Amino acid sequence: MIAIGEVAELLGVSQDTLRRWDKNGRLPSVKSSGGHRLYSRFQIELYLNDMEVMAKEWVELGKKISTELHCPDSSVFQARLHKMEELLSRVERLKNIFPLIVAVAGEIGNNSFDHNLGNWPDIPGVFFGYDIQKRRTVLADRGQGVLATLQRVRPALETHAEALRVAFSEVVSGRAPENRGNGLKFVRQVIADNSIGLVFRTGDAELILKKDKADLDIHASTTEFRGCLAFITF
Amino acid sequence: MKIYLQKFGTTLTSRQAGKEALLAFQPTLSEIGIDEPIEIDFEGVVTFSPSWGDEFLTPLQKEFGERLTIKHTNNPSVQATLKLLEKIHVVRFSHRQ
Repeated sequence: MIAIGEVAELLGVSQDTLRRWDKNGRLPSVKSSGGHRLYSRFQIELYLNDMEVMAKEWVELGKKISTELHCPDSSVFQARLHKMEELLSRVERLKNIFPLIVAVAGEIGNNSFDHNLGNWPDIPGVFFGYDIQKRRTVLADRGQGVLATLQRVRPALETHAEALRVAFSEVVSGRAPENRGNGLKFVRQVIADNSIGLVFRTGDAELILKKDKADLDIHASTTEFRGCLAFITF
Repeated sequence: MKIYLQKFGTTLTSRQAGKEALLAFQPTLSEIGIDEPIEIDFEGVVTFSPSWGDEFLTPLQKEFGERLTIKHTNNPSVQATLKLLEKIHVVRFSHRQ
């Protein structure tokens, strides 16, 4: 753990600023037995690094990520989602929509577990990071991807772009005994009605959703990978 | 009978948890009288999403139909989830103020 003085030097801000950030949730500390603020080295590294780049390098290149960003199973994900909910609830400007942000992140993250349970190609679980101050959440998985998952019930699907369109727009039935497949429709509906943005990538396709934009903006992405990568902004 | 969803948690988002909740609630459900109304109360629930809702509310709606009512809530995640479940299953949840 690092003391507040050292963190102030590392980040180039005053100790008063760090106390303010602690109070408003931007950079929370833990208290020592003597009541002094302490910070984990990882937390500071995360603050200095770019979360999106870390997620991208994990899904595309298999680069190692910290255990603090990796939820190996659903129970860890639920616990961290609950923590994010608690932090978002403290932000005044989000008081009317924070449950929707949590619900969107929850549906995307849970989707990864529901569709890959027992079938993870290599590393099980999801990357889950958020930065309340920078208004963003990042989720990623090294699972089978939307196309491979949907092909089980829609064998005619051929491209990642088609799979994205189906996942975000059609009610997919006939998945018995599985009963799933509507979470991403919910995500689309919520984003169209609220000030939340989403970039969702899978395979070689990318979808962009934003408020008041009913159309699905799907195009080829710059890189191809297996699994899913989602950037949520709010 | 009133069902207070808060008793299952305040962040209700996963299918797994929704399934477990319904399973745990089966003994209580079997005590419901033949014409007894059932009201779902969301008081205290912070985040609600379709995965949990589809595992818990959809089976109740199928079983109890119009006997099942939803107590009004302003929570946007509850409203958005109910709207989607109604659309997907072509059903209508009865609401009560």
